[in-house]
Parts: sequence; structure tokens; C-alpha cells
Amino acid sequence: MSVWADLSLVLILAGLTAYLLFGGADFGAGLWHLLGRERRLIEHAMGPVWEANHVWLIFVMVLTWTAFPPVFAGITEAYWVPLSIAALGIVARGSALAFRKVVPEKYAVTFALSSLATPFCLGAVAGAVALGRRNWLSLPALYVGVLTVGLCVYLAAVYLTWDAHREGDATRFRAYALRAGCAVGLLALPGAAITGVHSPLIGVSAVAGVASLLLLWRRHYLAVRVTAALATAAVLWGAAATADLPLASSAAPDAVLRLVLTVLAIGGLLLVPSLTWLYVLFQRQEPDRAESTRA
Amino acid sequence: MSLASSTAEILAARTQMALTLGFHIVLAAIGIGLPALTLLAEWRGHRTGDPVYRELARRWAKATGVLFAVGAVSGTVLSFEMGTLWPHFMAKFGQVFGAAFAMEGIAFFIEAIFMGIYLYGWDRLSSRAHLLTGIPIVVGGIASAFFVVTVNSWMNQPRGFRIDAHGNVTDVRPLAAMFNPATPPEAVHLILASFMVCGFTVASVYAVALLRGKRDAYHRRAFAIPFTFAAVTAPIQVIVGDWATRFVADNQPVKFAAMEGIERTRDGVPFRFGFLEIPNMLSVMLKFDPNARLRGLDSWPENLEPPKNVPHYAFDIMVAIGTGLVLLGAWALLSWWRRRDLPRSRWFLRAAALAGIGAVIAMEAGWTTTEVGRQPWIVYGVMRVDQAVNPGSGLTAGLYIVIAVYALLAAVTITVLRRIARAPGTAVGVATGGTTDPDPGTGTKTAPGPGTGTETADSADGHEGALR
Repeated sequence: MSVWADLSLVLILAGLTAYLLFGGADFGAGLWHLLGRERRLIEHAMGPVWEANHVWLIFVMVLTWTAFPPVFAGITEAYWVPLSIAALGIVARGSALAFRKVVPEKYAVTFALSSLATPFCLGAVAGAVALGRRNWLSLPALYVGVLTVGLCVYLAAVYLTWDAHREGDATRFRAYALRAGCAVGLLALPGAAITGVHSPLIGVSAVAGVASLLLLWRRHYLAVRVTAALATAAVLWGAAATADLPLASSAAPDAVLRLVLTVLAIGGLLLVPSLTWLYVLFQRQEPDRAESTRA
Repeated sequence: MSLASSTAEILAARTQMALTLGFHIVLAAIGIGLPALTLLAEWRGHRTGDPVYRELARRWAKATGVLFAVGAVSGTVLSFEMGTLWPHFMAKFGQVFGAAFAMEGIAFFIEAIFMGIYLYGWDRLSSRAHLLTGIPIVVGGIASAFFVVTVNSWMNQPRGFRIDAHGNVTDVRPLAAMFNPATPPEAVHLILASFMVCGFTVASVYAVALLRGKRDAYHRRAFAIPFTFAAVTAPIQVIVGDWATRFVADNQPVKFAAMEGIERTRDGVPFRFGFLEIPNMLSVMLKFDPNARLRGLDSWPENLEPPKNVPHYAFDIMVAIGTGLVLLGAWALLSWWRRRDLPRSRWFLRAAALAGIGAVIAMEAGWTTTEVGRQPWIVYGVMRVDQAVNPGSGLTAGLYIVIAVYALLAAVTITVLRRIARAPGTAVGVATGGTTDPDPGTGTKTAPGPGTGTETADSADGHEGALR
């Protein structure tokens, strides 16, 4: 495989990681939203960023169909059913969230259920692809689907703990995150046995997961975002390392890849500062909160 | 390559693509135009301090937020469908047009980032900075429309690759694919159509309000700004439409024959429009020669020609509505020129109220013309639709689910938009409908209460103040 194809593959993996860590957490928030206690906080945290987080998925799809067209087509042809369910889940989730901004008393259940169905389907497809199963309804694929939902739910709780802390009270989300961390850890334990994957990345994920629990326990809410993200990303990387796809034979010609990567590099110059600004702007303390409530 | 798919399954895949694309295209069109209208109102408010403009900007920003979200997710469905419905098309040609989608992805990313900043940043940024954050949304919207359309124009005029003796794609030149000959007319035509759809639909909402007697400054401006925007675009679109039609006549004559309903090749072709028939006129219009010979559908084998009626009627509908919209705009401009006011006639407002749905129908009809007119090809002259489709079974069942979901989505989106339109104004004193205005005519008085209350009330989740 040419260096351009290698680079494309790295970018696809990076995009998938970003989608799991940012978009995935937005999906995972659906479960906490379903519990109904912290809806305002969740929507407040997601509101400005979820659409940008969602674009990582588009990025991954476009880059895959451009750089490795037969691989993209092979996956979408074989798994069109779960992918179509995921697409409709994305529609329901995004629309429900936008509608709730106008009509806050409605569409909560749609939002929550589609938030969980989408990562399940995408996870099951990822599992089936990584493990070389034709059937997304096979036990290992379904297991990866459930694990993906668990990871998203856990990430959401970890991220929201810091948001809740900034708003004044992190007690509830800290408890959620601790419980979710233990639950996902238990869920991941039989992973090697069910999927047959034996990767050193499993160890990385486990160590980062335990560290996250300790950090949460000791109330280091910003640091735990990093370790929890690492614990989650390591699972994705482990799966990716297992996947056996005909990448070399399906890579697009270098002329195409060179253009696309140049475009992405130029685009990156615009995107990275913009994205940084977006996150920084809304992670800062809200200005004049007291005053605006008075008015 | 398996070609086992039944005709019914292919039709299901085509219908699903048409439905989801036809849905998305309306949101995309409004998503291109509405941020520009919102910024225009915000800029006027910033310059003049007039609360009517500020209220308009707030209101339109809220609608933009909803429509952008639904547009973004319905656009994602299309990305999935490219692969789930047309895997053989993607496997072969993804490399040829992929670069255009990569560029579109960046433009869309910029749009999404700044949409977040713009919609939630009202009181985190200075009013000047807030205004500036809207500009990347407008630029990103137009740019993504352009890049996406290059792919469709490529499907009509495929360039930038060769097919070798084994049927493999070689010698890929992505920029040549992107800047194929159909790109300029198609892209300009679609972007102008988006402006028209956005302007006329937004104006039609307020035309209804004006008809119901809400004739305050808020509703008059809310009508005049988008209406003017669309009315100015409409005559330019006639010229661009003519360009696009001549392009099709020269480069895709079979599509042109279907559009104009030319069945047999002959000299001196009449112009047919609905029941109207003018002898030799089509030859005159196209070649400036009453006896010019035009190719009819009979000069292509039947299995390689598009259906006869759909492109013809769709094209006629688009042209008829487009002409009507130009005349409606001319009516308003004439009245403005003579008396510095919109026409007084209620018939004008009635027509303007219908212009929104009319513009949407015209756009869908134009889209139908170009898509059905390309049949049976997915890539004109290179790959047929039945060679591209997913051979998996169950596409028909999938279609029914998609129809149900989209019907529900359309209904809820409209309900939510009506809710935005009806909510009482957040800038106190500006009459915006729904509730009865206790003191019509004083819509622009300033807010009572402390200082900049109207600014801060509508903070990141300011809808709560307005809607609870």
C-alpha cells in the first residue's frame, strides 16, 4: 500500500476515534436523559457541539468511500439493514434534540431510544466487520454492539460529571460515572473470550479504565476525561487491529489520495482552530448567568 | 456483479433515494438561504438598533437551528444510502468523485461548527463578533451546495476517468471529474433555486399573517426582506435556466427530447407546453431556425431512453411556476417603483402565500427532470441504475419504513416551526403574532425594565423565557 493510502487509513481511524469519543458520548447521554433527572444539563452541554461531533461520521464515510471504495461498498452492501436503522436513528436523535429546544416537554423518549439504538447498530456492524462475520446478528457482533452502547453511556457520564461540577453539583453524575465504569468493565471482561481477540490494547483499556475509576473517586473530573477516553479508544483500536479488510487491493490511485489529503490538510487549517474555539467557548463559565435569570 | 435484483426492488431503491433526497433538498435550500436572511436582519438591527430587526434575527435563527439540524441528519441518510442502495456505483466510482465530497465535508464541518457558535453564542460574544460568526455559515452552505452538485453533474457528464478493457476504472483525474462541463450550469441553477425556495417560503409564512390583518412593522419587514431576495433572484434564474436547458440539448440530447416531448426526429419541431402547441417554435428557440432538425426519442434504442412523460411534465411544471414567480416579483417591483409600497391588492398576498409551496414544487420538478431524464443511467452512458443497486432482498420493506419515518418527521418539523412562528416576541413590545397584540402600531417601542433585558433574556436556552 502506498504511503498515501496508509495516511488515509490513519485519518479514517483518527476520524472514527473522534466520532466515538465525541459523537459517541452524545449518544450515550441518551441513557442518562432517559432517567430524567438531568435533562437540562445534558441538552445544555450537547446543544452547541453535537452537530460538529456528528460530522466526524460523515468524514469517516466520505474518506472511506474515496480512499477504499470497494471496502466501503462491501460493508454497506452486506450490512445495509443495521446501517439503515442507524441512519434513521441518527435522524430521530438529531431532530428530537433540535425539536426539544423549541418544545422542551416533548420528544424525550424518541431522543433517548434513538440515542441508544444508533450506537448499538453501528457497534454491531463494526464488530461484524472487525471479526469477519457476515451476520451482524451473530453473538460476537451483538456483543460488540452492546459494548459500544456501554462505552458511550460511560463516556457521557464521565464528561457530564465535569459539566455538572461547573454548574455546581457533580454528585449525581459522579455516582452515575462510577457505576457505569464498573458495569462496562464487567461487560468487557468476557470480551476476549466472546470475540476471540487477544490484543495488548485490551490491557491498555483495562489499566486506563481502573485509573478512571480512581480519578473519579478522588474527584479529578478533568483528568478522568482523558483516561476514560483512552480506555474507550483502546477498544476501538483493538477491534481495528483485528479487522482483516482487503485494503491494499482496494486503495484508490495515488492521484486521488494526494488531492484528497491535500484538501483535508488545507481544510484542517480552518477546522482545527474553529473546532477548538467551539469547545473552549462553551466549556467556559457562562457570562452573567445570574443577571440573565434576573432579566 | 450480481444483477439478480427484481424490477420491484430497483424501483423501491429509486423511490427511497428520490423521497429522501427530495426531502433533504428542501431543507438544504432553506439552509443555504435562511442564514443569509438572518444575518441581514441581524446586521440591520446592529446598525440601527431597531428591535424589530433584532426580533426577526432571533426568530429566524431559531428556525435556522431546527431546519439545519433536520437538514444535517437527513443529509447523513443520503450518505448511508449511497452505499446501502448503490454499492456497485460506489465501489467503482467512489474514487472518481470522492474528492468533491471531501471538500463538501469540510464546508459542512465549518457550517456545523459555526452554527453551534452562532446559535448558542448570543451572549457569549459581542454583537459584532456574533454577526461575524454567521458569515462562515453562509459561505459554507453555498460551498457545500456547489460541491455536492458537482457530483450530480458528473453523473450527467462523466469525465476524469477511463474504463479499460476489463471494465476497470483507470486514469482517474478527480478535478476533471469535478469540473465537468455540466457543473457550471447545474451549480448556478441549483444555488439560485435555493435562494428562491428560501425567500418565497419564508415570505409566504408572513404573507399569510398579513392576510390575517397583522400589518405591523414586524410582519411587513418579515415579508419584504425574503420576498425581495427571491423576487430579484427569479429573473436571473430564467436566464440561467435557459443556459442549463441549452446545455442539456447539446450534451444530453436524449434528456432534452424527453423534457420537450419530442418523439420523432424531424425538421421544424413545434413547441408544446401543456395543451399549447406553436408550430416550429422549439426549433426557433433552440437553433434560431424554424426548420432546424431536432433529435427525437426514436433515435435511441428503447431500453436506453428515459420515460417519456415524467421529464416532460416535470419540466413544464417547473417552467410554468418559475414564470409565475417572476411575474409576481415584477408586480411587487412595479408597485414599489410607483408608490414605494407593496401592492395593496389582497390577490398579491394570496399569490405570495402560494409562492412558497410553488417554489418548492418547482424545485422538486426541476430535480425530477434532471434525475428521471438521466434514466436508465446512474452514470450517463457508463453505468445503468440496475447495475448499481444493492442485490440484497428487502429493499421494498425498507422503503415502507422510510416513508413512515419521513412522513412523521415532516409533520413534526412543520408543527415545531409553527410553534416558533406563534411564540410571543422575546423583545418586549414587538408584536409577532399568535397572541393578540394589545397595542398594534407601537410594535417598535423599547423594552421596559432594566438595561439590556431584551438581549440577555434570550440566552443559550432563551426559548424557555419565551415558551414556558
